[in-house]
Amino acid sequence: MDEITGRSPADAHVASVLRTLDPDRDRPAEVLAVQRLSVGFAGQRVLRDVTVALPRGTVTAIIGPTGSGKSTFLRTLNRMNDRVRGFERDGDVLLDGESIWSPAQDLLAVRRRVGMLFQRPNPFPMSIRDNVVAGVRAHGIARGKQLDVVAEIRLREVGLWDAVKDRLHGSPYRLSGGQQQLLCLARALAVGPEVLLLDEPTSALDPMSTEAVEALFKTLTPALTLLVVTHNLGQARRLSDATILFYDGQLAEHGATAQVFEQPQDPRTARYVQGLVG
Amino acid sequence: MTLRAPSTPGGARRDESSRRARRAWARREEAVWRLGGRVATLVPVGALVFVLAVLAVKAWPAIRVSGWGYLTGSSWLPGSTYGGVEKVHGVTIPVGAHYGAWPLVAGTLQTSAIALVFAVPVSILTAFALTEGLPGRIARPLGFVVEVVAGIPSVIIGLWGVLVLGPFLAHDVYPLIATHVPNVPVLKYLGGSVGYGEGLLTSGLVLGLMIVPIIASTTRDLFLQVPALPQEGARALGMTDAEVARRVTLPWVRSGVIGAAVLGLGRALGETIAVAMVSGSVLGVVSPNLYGTMTTIAATIVSQLDSAATDGTGFAVANLAEAGLLLAAISIAVNLAARAIVRRSGALRAPVGRA
Repeated sequence: MDEITGRSPADAHVASVLRTLDPDRDRPAEVLAVQRLSVGFAGQRVLRDVTVALPRGTVTAIIGPTGSGKSTFLRTLNRMNDRVRGFERDGDVLLDGESIWSPAQDLLAVRRRVGMLFQRPNPFPMSIRDNVVAGVRAHGIARGKQLDVVAEIRLREVGLWDAVKDRLHGSPYRLSGGQQQLLCLARALAVGPEVLLLDEPTSALDPMSTEAVEALFKTLTPALTLLVVTHNLGQARRLSDATILFYDGQLAEHGATAQVFEQPQDPRTARYVQGLVG
Repeated sequence: MTLRAPSTPGGARRDESSRRARRAWARREEAVWRLGGRVATLVPVGALVFVLAVLAVKAWPAIRVSGWGYLTGSSWLPGSTYGGVEKVHGVTIPVGAHYGAWPLVAGTLQTSAIALVFAVPVSILTAFALTEGLPGRIARPLGFVVEVVAGIPSVIIGLWGVLVLGPFLAHDVYPLIATHVPNVPVLKYLGGSVGYGEGLLTSGLVLGLMIVPIIASTTRDLFLQVPALPQEGARALGMTDAEVARRVTLPWVRSGVIGAAVLGLGRALGETIAVAMVSGSVLGVVSPNLYGTMTTIAATIVSQLDSAATDGTGFAVANLAEAGLLLAAISIAVNLAARAIVRRSGALRAPVGRA
């Protein structure tokens, strides 16, 4: 239960709403279980037979060469690929033991529970405050004056409050790239996700902003489970408990980060982590 | 068969002189090009100034006689047709002539407002359907059709309006509305006699149909420019397609959509022949309800010009010119207002193309 009681009052509020809606949540140790997942687009196989489980409250890094299927894998987990032309899949993804494609699952609820942060910051064309609470509003988690409270809590959580408190109703596009990405993180956290998918979240940021964002990611566990795609091997080592290596659409290696980097089992992994390929 | 001239002694010199001639020609072309550009830019500016000046001169007698009363008056009386004249404020006018443009101004603004209320939502939904809702093999030909509709001559739409749409609405649609509205202030305006299909609402709807293609095709092009990343972000947050459209896509291009609406409004304000055909062309009254017969500035000018030319004092033509001046002023005012709105709503807008 610790996982959902969370750290902040807003988390507690979200958790209490969720408990009210669904009092008998039985929660397996693996928040996401990917079972023999294959994904293709119009006959072109992109992922082949991927099986992997994400323990709750951990950080897993996904590394691998460009075109190895990392992003496709990530985007499949919150069903962002469903409507891509020619999308076809085999196998399954279980979220808390239930298939994300099961007819009983509400797509919008899946996306609320499995949040996402993108390669580049993508604020919405609305004020900074409205950006933070955009998802909260859409899901009806809070309303009216509560929204201001949610916005402040989430902006404090990502360390942006002092920088923006005097321009909450101003444009997000005047913030720096790093600040914009933090704003997007605050927005993703505000709906109380259980899993956060991070698609090269710092690739558009300078080293200082990257450091700030990485430090923040560490504070998000164990309340959240993070899955981060990165080309930055240093980042994978710094951040993650476990590392997955994708190679040509297949899961080539999966293990504790230290083990993957120091005693890789697969020769392709060894070459990749030593910087010989990729 | 050789296409190249055989090289002869002296060929090099001839090449040199022809190259020089070409450069001289290019310099002349350059000068003409620049001068032509400057002259061309003056054409629209000059035309605007010239047209407004001529209208003002022609309208001057009417302005002197009626003053501000022209804007508030409701009668449109050409006066004596037997040659009896009188002098008012130093202007010779037919006895009993009296002109007031208030019903024309009201009719113009009312029909254009109805057209916008109808066309903007329809256009935005059409644009969404064309960019996201429909598969490409349906959306592409449909988008082409939308653009073709924009090119249908307005006289044809007017003819269809008066022969088909108007009677249908008056017979099958308006009564449903008119008999079900409660008799309270404001809503009362939707009740009353629905007429025979010529009038305010029919004119507004016909205008609306005419401007939908303009607004829809512009809006579709704007939607295509919205970067995918913010939309994906909204979808990843668990927003429905409608929420993504309302909270991200539409705000992203808000000022552009306002601009497209103003483009359509400009067309609606000035549209002449279709309105002349479906308005009922009744001078001198503001419609008492949503369905009554009326007319607009543009429709009046076209329908009254013939008879106005028979006024030997020229006063009738002067009044039409003043009406034209008024229409130009309304159009310009609407454009300026739209710019102000765009500037104000642009504060939070991301520049199109920025991700």
